[in-house]
Formats: sequence, C-alpha cells, structure tokens
Amino acid sequence: MKKIEALCVSALFAGLGIAGVAYGARAWLPQLASRHGAGIDAMLRYLLVSAGGLFLLGYVALGSLVWLGSRRRAIGQRLTSGRTEWLVSGALGLAVAAVGEGGVLAIGMPVWAEYFGARPPADAVTIDVTAQQFMWNVRYPGPDGVFGRTDLRLIDEASNPLGLDPSDPAGRDDIVTLNEMAVPVNRPVRIRLHSKDVIHSFFLPNLRVKQDAVPGMTPEIVFVPTRTGDFELACAELCGLAHYRMRGFVHVLTSAQFAEWLRQQSAAAAAASGGRS
Amino acid sequence: MNLALLPSAGAATDAPPRLDPRRAALVRQQQVRLGLWMFLATVAMLFAAFASAYLVRRSGSDWHPLALPRLVWVNTLVLAASSSALEAAHRAGRARRWTGARAAMIAAVALGLGFLAGQLAAWRLMTVRGASLAASPQSSFFYVLTGAHALHLVTALAVLAWTAAAAGSARRDPHGWSAQMSVCRTFWHFLGGVWLFVLALLLLS
Amino acid sequence: MTSPAHVEASRSGRVAPRGPEPHQGFLRRYIFSTDHKIIGIQYIFTGLVMAIVGASLAALIRLQLGWPEHQWVLLSRLLPRGLPGGVMTPEFYLAVVTMHGTIMVFFFISYVLVSGFGNYLVPLQVGAKDMAFPVLNMLSYWVALASALTMLASFFVEGGAAAAGWTAYPPLSAVPAAVPGSQMGQTIWLLSMALFIASFTMGGLNIVATVFSVRAPGLSMMRLPLTVWSYFIAAIVGLLAFPPLTAAAVMLLLDRHFGTSFFLPAGLVVANKALPNTGGSPLLWQHLFWFLGHPEVYVLILPALGVACDILPAFTRKPVFGYRSSVWCLVAVACLSMIVWGHHMFVSGMSPFSGEYFSLVTLAITVPMTMFGVNMLASLWGAKLQLHTPALFALGVIALFGSGGLGGLFLGNATADMQLHDTYFVVGHFHMMIGGVTMLATFGALYFWFPKMFGRRMSEAAGKLHFWLTFAPFFTIFFMQHFLGLEGAPRRYYAFTAYDYLQRTRGQNLVISVAALVLIGGQLLFLANFIWSLFRGRAATENPWGATTLEWTVASPPPHGNFETIPLVRRWAYEYGIQTPQGDFAPQTWAPPQAG
Repeated sequence: MKKIEALCVSALFAGLGIAGVAYGARAWLPQLASRHGAGIDAMLRYLLVSAGGLFLLGYVALGSLVWLGSRRRAIGQRLTSGRTEWLVSGALGLAVAAVGEGGVLAIGMPVWAEYFGARPPADAVTIDVTAQQFMWNVRYPGPDGVFGRTDLRLIDEASNPLGLDPSDPAGRDDIVTLNEMAVPVNRPVRIRLHSKDVIHSFFLPNLRVKQDAVPGMTPEIVFVPTRTGDFELACAELCGLAHYRMRGFVHVLTSAQFAEWLRQQSAAAAAASGGRS
Repeated sequence: MNLALLPSAGAATDAPPRLDPRRAALVRQQQVRLGLWMFLATVAMLFAAFASAYLVRRSGSDWHPLALPRLVWVNTLVLAASSSALEAAHRAGRARRWTGARAAMIAAVALGLGFLAGQLAAWRLMTVRGASLAASPQSSFFYVLTGAHALHLVTALAVLAWTAAAAGSARRDPHGWSAQMSVCRTFWHFLGGVWLFVLALLLLS
Repeated sequence: MTSPAHVEASRSGRVAPRGPEPHQGFLRRYIFSTDHKIIGIQYIFTGLVMAIVGASLAALIRLQLGWPEHQWVLLSRLLPRGLPGGVMTPEFYLAVVTMHGTIMVFFFISYVLVSGFGNYLVPLQVGAKDMAFPVLNMLSYWVALASALTMLASFFVEGGAAAAGWTAYPPLSAVPAAVPGSQMGQTIWLLSMALFIASFTMGGLNIVATVFSVRAPGLSMMRLPLTVWSYFIAAIVGLLAFPPLTAAAVMLLLDRHFGTSFFLPAGLVVANKALPNTGGSPLLWQHLFWFLGHPEVYVLILPALGVACDILPAFTRKPVFGYRSSVWCLVAVACLSMIVWGHHMFVSGMSPFSGEYFSLVTLAITVPMTMFGVNMLASLWGAKLQLHTPALFALGVIALFGSGGLGGLFLGNATADMQLHDTYFVVGHFHMMIGGVTMLATFGALYFWFPKMFGRRMSEAAGKLHFWLTFAPFFTIFFMQHFLGLEGAPRRYYAFTAYDYLQRTRGQNLVISVAALVLIGGQLLFLANFIWSLFRGRAATENPWGATTLEWTVASPPPHGNFETIPLVRRWAYEYGIQTPQGDFAPQTWAPPQAG
C-alpha cells in the first residue's frame, strides 16, 4: 500500500512536470504585429524555454526524490559540511538566476530602452487617446498637425466628450473618433494617453503595447506596426462596471489606405464642425 | 539576550536556574524597552511615509508654502518645557526627592495638555484664515502631519499621566517607577523629536 | 483544553505557575484568555471561518467565468441583489473579486498561518511560558476579530462591498460615483484595514520581543527551528512595511470624505460631473500601497516556508539541508523585499529609469529564493520518506514554490511585464505563491500540529484524500491561468465575451471552473475531518511524529504555562538520524553525548 501511495505521489509530480511542459509548448501569444513586440516575444519565448526546462527538471527531480526516499530503509548521509551546503545551494541558486534572469537582462534591457528611451521620431503619427468610463476617445491633429485646445468646462458627454474649444482655429480640423483609430503600417505611431476619470490601461495585445492612462498625467508610447489588419484594444486596469467591454479597434492600413482614411475623416470633421460652433 | 539566565559552566543538570524577583524585573524591563523601540520604529515609518508623500507633492507646480501661525512656535516651546519638566522629574526621582518629582510630573502633564490645546487653537486659526483641510495641498498636509503627531501625543500623554500618578507610590518601589519613567521619557522625547521633524518639513520653502 | 493557572505567572515568563485559581471561569480561560495557545487557536478558528467566506466568493467568480450566460436560479434566491434573475451583475462581480482577494490574503492566510500558528508555536518552540506581552496579545486578537467583522459588514451597506480590487487604486476607490462599491463599502474596507494593521502591529511586537528576550537557556539563535526564524523575520518586515499603508488609508479616507486631493488630480469628470480636486497623484497611492503590498506577500510566504522546513524533517528522518544558508536567505529576502515594490508598477506611468532599477533588484531576489528552494529539495536527498499527510502538503509546498517562482521570472522584469501586467498570468502567479505555497503550508501545519493543539489525531486517510483533491485541481487551475495571460486575457474581467481574440479562452475557463469547484468541494472533506477529530479523534501522545522541537516535549495539549520548569536546550532543532532511547532522533533538550 505504501509503495502504491509513493508511486502515485512521484507520478503526480513527474507527470505534472511532463504534462505542464507539453501544455506550455503551444502557440499562446496573439499574432505579433509590431516591431518592438518581436523583442518582447523573444524574451517570452526564452523564458518559456528556460523556465519550462527548469520546471521539468524540478518536478522530475521532486518525483524521483519522493520515489527514492520512500524505498529507503535507512537515511543516507546525515549531515553535509557547511561548505558543501553553501556550495550546492549557492551554485544552483546562482545558476538558475543566471539562466533565467541573465537571459532576461540581455534580451530585455535593449527592448525597454528602445521602447522608452528613444525620442519619438519626426515622422511619427501622433494620436491623442483619452480614456474614460467606458470608451476610448481618439483624436488626430488633422492636416495642420496641431491639436486644438480643450477645456474641461466645455465637456458635454453627448456632443463634446473631449471639451474641444471651438474658438481655437487649430482644433477646427481635429479628427475625433470613438473606440477606433487607423495607423499606417511600418511607420512609428506616437500615442499620448489621457484619462478623464479613473485609471485605465491602453492594451493592444497583438502589438505588445500596454500603458496605464492615469488622470493628471500624459504618458506617451511609441510603437511601429509591422502587419496590416484590425487589432483589438482592451482596457487593462480595473476601471469600473464595464471594464470588461471597453473595446476598441486599431486598423493598421497601408500608407495609401491611411491617407484615404484621414481624408475621409477630415471631410466628416469639417462637415461636423460647421455645426459644432 | 537572556543575560540573567546563562547556564553556569558544566550545567548537566536538568533544573534551570530559578530567577529571583530582581532579575525577573530587569528582564521584564528589557522586554518592555524592546517592545517600545519596535513600536517607535513603526511610528517612524508612518511619519516617513507621510513625509515622502509630502516631499513629492511639494515639487508640484501648484504648491505654495504655507504661512504658519506664530502660535505654532509657542506650542513648540510648551512641548520643550514639558520635556524639560519630565527630565527634572527624572533627576528628582534619582535623587529620591519624591515631592519634587511629583510636582515636576504634574507640570509635564499640564504642559503636554497645553501643547495639545495650543495645537487645536492653531488649527482653528488656520481654518479661519482660509487654510482649511481641503483648501490646498499644503494645508491638507499640514493637518495630516500635525494631526497624526497629536494623536500619538494623546497616547503618550496618557502614559505620562499614568506615570505621574504612580509618582505617589514611587517611594515604595523606586525601581518600578524608574522603569516606568524610562518608557515614559523615551516615548515623550521621541514624539518631541517627531514634532521637530514635522515642523522642519512644514517650514521648508 | 488547557488547565487553569494564574495569569501573572505567564506574564513574567520566569516564575513557575502557581496552582489553579479557584474562580477562573470559562470566559477567562477560553474566551478572554491571555494564553498564547488559546489566542492562537482563536485566530485559527476565525481564519478558517473567513476562509469559508473567501472560498464561497471564489466559487461565485468561477461560476461567472466558466458559464458566463448561465442563469443560476438557486443562487438568485440566496443573493437576489447580486444575481437578479439568476445572472450576476458586474457590480456584484467586482465586489466579489475585491473581497475574495482581501479576505483570503488578510483574513485567511494572515490569521491562520501568521497570527494563528505564530502565536501558538513561537513561545513553545523557544521554550517560553507565554509571549512577552500576553495582555497585548489578547488585545491583538480582539482587534483582529473586530477587523474581520467590520470587513464582513461592508457587504451590507449601500452600494455593497468595496469593488476597486484589493489594491483599491484611486480615483476608482476615491470617487463614490466611479463604481457602487466606492460608496460606503470602500470606507468600511479602509476602517477594517486600519484595525487589521493595529492588530498585526501588536502581534508582531510580541513575536519579535519573545524571540529576542524569552528564549530558554541554551537556545542560541542558530539553534532555533526555521519556523521561529521565519516568523521572527516576517514580523519585523510586517512591522516596518504596514505603516505606509496606514498613511495611505488615512489620506484616501480624507480624499473620500473631506474633499482633500492627495490622490485626485485636477480635471476629473466622473458620471458627467466635474470634480473640484486639484493636484493629487494616483501614483502616490500605488507607491504607498505596494511599499506594503510587496513585503506583505513575503510576510505570508516566509512562515509558510519555515513551517514546511520543520514539517519535512519529521518525515525524512534527517536534518534539513543547508540550515545556515536558509537562515541567511530568509534575511536576504526580507531585506530585498522592501526595495522591489515598483515591479507592480512597470506600466503605471512611473519613470522608465525606475523600471530598470526595479527590474534589477527584483532579479536579485531570485538568488536567495532559489537557494532556499534548492535547500528544501536537497533535504529530500537520502531521506527515509514517510508519506503521512503533513509530509504530502510539505512536498506540495516545494512543488508550487518552484513553479510559482518560475512565473516570477517573467513578471519581475519590465519588458515581459509590458505584455503580462494585469493579465491572468499575474493571477496564476500570485495564486500559486499565496494560494498555493501558503495554503498548502497552512494545511500541513494544521495536520502536523493538530495533535499537539487538541490532544487528538486527525484521520490520515481523509487527510491524504484531501491532499489529492487539493493539489491536483489547484495546480491545474493556476498553471492554466499563466497561459490565459500569455493569450492576453486581462484581469478582473466580468466576462471574456466582448472580444474576438478572447473567444479561444472559453474552453480553458470552463476547465478551470470545473477544477475550482472540485478544489472548493474538496475542502469540505478537510472541514469535516477537522471538526469531527476535535471531538472524536483518537487520543494523541506527546510526540506522535517523533519530532525534535520543544513543543513535542510537553503534553498534548500543553498545560497553561507550557513547561513545568523552563527547559535547558542542548541541541539544535534537527537532531534526526541519531540513535537515542527516544528513537532515531534527539529532542532539543536531550543531553549531548559525554566527551571521550
């Protein structure tokens, strides 16, 4: 009976080790669509392989030790010298740290530095995103390249959620959309994030982009889409009742399609601003 | 740490040494002092948290230094006087001058109460001037910092009053009273130090 | 449960207990007791009741996520406001999620494992008659109970319980109109936390003072069991880490009710109303909260690891591997834990330079934690393993510590965290560590010390079955959640039905929910075993496991005052594998062999 119990327990650990690695060795990440995302994916894949390997090793070791231990009639060597103990745990501890964290540093730091450190390039498409409960207000500066002034007191949730100031000429050509944006492929996109009420988080799973939109701050992110298509935007910071359906879209278009989209939006904005003042 | 309980050389017997009451009292005092210092460490962390929040907020663009009423300086002197009275009581106790000790303790308590009353008056002055709790970030922090200090001082004042009351029976148990005084003085002077720290923060321009 | 004795004796800790007081009634002996053992058991019972609440909340979460459109008719009769027409409302879901986290972290694990077993074991294992400050200790329990009751009361106020997550980020938690739970529910949550912190401070002071100054003669620090080391270090970390949360809670209460702007910036528009606040910083709350929040998880996990290290040798019959290095690792982890809090805030908007700093120091924590794990694993080498119930749970601790820890590699660096922050990867990781390591250690401790605490044995067969019903589903649920996170499933989502890219998670969520119901159901077996054994368990001897630490040298349960005479300690805590008249081990009080 004890032998069967021991067998079951060892099989549990060893089995989970193998099953876990098998389960993990599938394609989990959403389809990649950005340049810096390749670096993040490389990091994640490295970690999956190294952590997966350590996981398998550890669980099989645990299972084996349980099996061997259950078969013994007397203990092995009772004490090891202090030096051996420090050596064994120190060496293994440093080895795991080196494999896991060393790789992380080597791959990760450059990605982080590029993502945050680099200045936004001159040809970046700048988009203003203002998050609120429970939608994404998207604004483009329009042909003049300047965002119009906004004023809190002018906010009207129905007609003017951003509080655009009609007296500011720079704002006349601003393009405002709700829950969707278009960006050109292979060109840098610069997003300036705002929030009107609580903390939201701008999460593009396919583009490996995530940045909290914090009221009172204007965090900026820059990324380069590398694949055309429609990608979903999700909120990744608890913001209230409809946090789970604060959905948006990023349409990654070719340059020509993007130019056309801008043109259409501008025309619509001009027609609307006729009635806005 | 168990200084009083080190086994004597070659202790192969199973009966550990029994403590006489003097030694037991000494060990007890060590424990209480240790507990007090750890508690003061948590108080220090609390004020460190408020202070770091304050310092970061100060760097904001909408920060204007707060003008403190002169009363605050008077209160500081009153608190300092209270600490001096406490020390005088301690010296008197060491010299076995019990009436003097008692009088000094009562003075310390009265001055402590005076400080708290003065703080209340200072708050009222600030509110009348327009620097109420929510009026500005600097006034919010003023009330939070001084309020947190005052709340802790209320507890310390209770300890002070209790020790003052015990001064009456100190004649019979000078060591016990001395131990109580040790706790009382540490707590009181520590909060005096915290007050100076809070004042310094508030005066930063 | 304990024989009556004079309270004064326990307070001085050095005077032998006098005879029983004739008039010490039931109330004084078992309810308002200053005996650390009674207090420990009070904490354990309270924590187990709160665990039932927390587990029920977990069941509700998994019902919603596993079957998003289902109508739960029976539940709608029990909870008409939460599930009108049988469908859970998002406001109820968020309150359930918030309270599940809060209750499990603070009122289950902290009460049972840290306060409960800390109170019970530390004085016994250091050879003391009681804690250094028994009256303060009793006060800590009653304040703890008040805290738990306050937290439960928050379910019944207008707007329901707090719903901004256990992390309570403002402005969501500061503005009543932002979510229903931010009406009175959030205020009551803050008041309950204030009481909790007061209680924890009193308990922590006791543990540290006791270990410092009430150790039996001959018990040097390096002869202490790892259990005592872990509680000692965890208490110090807790004492230093909690005050910033107190400060934050005070400021949040002021923002909520007195119009201040500590965390609320200018320009807020909530529910169509412009708020008058200016200049506050939501990030300030995050810094203060996580300054506590990160050390807090080590306050929970260190005792779990320490307890597992002491349970294991009783069933391997040999000393732990690497005692000295384990002690130093505990100290290193405790120190490092205080400076890594920013790894919860990589995408919060704090400076990218901070991100690099926090990644580096979080990386540093890997080393001592891995060393500790290696030591636990190496303790099994050459062991003569007896797979009793406590041993199974201790092995489970090692397993989940390893897999959970590996998940930490992903989250601890800023780059990978960009994709994984606020996804189910985080949920899987922290459940493996807090739900897994700490919970399994708690069960291990309950099975291991039950005979000592109550003088009776629990059923081994039921215990082993409980292990299987716990470990396998637990691993399944939280291992799978790591991959949900890789797929991009965000946290705290009421449903995944609104997104195309999340449709593929339906099947996984179903499997997880089924496993969760098995897991939760399996705990009923534990409760039944526990309660039944309290009254009908076989009588336990002084030392049923053949263990070496001091609590096993006295009766089961120990009398009031623990030791007739203060023991004289002559050995470290792991003298297994040597032949003595006791068997293959020597208790810590056993005389060393004569020289020559």
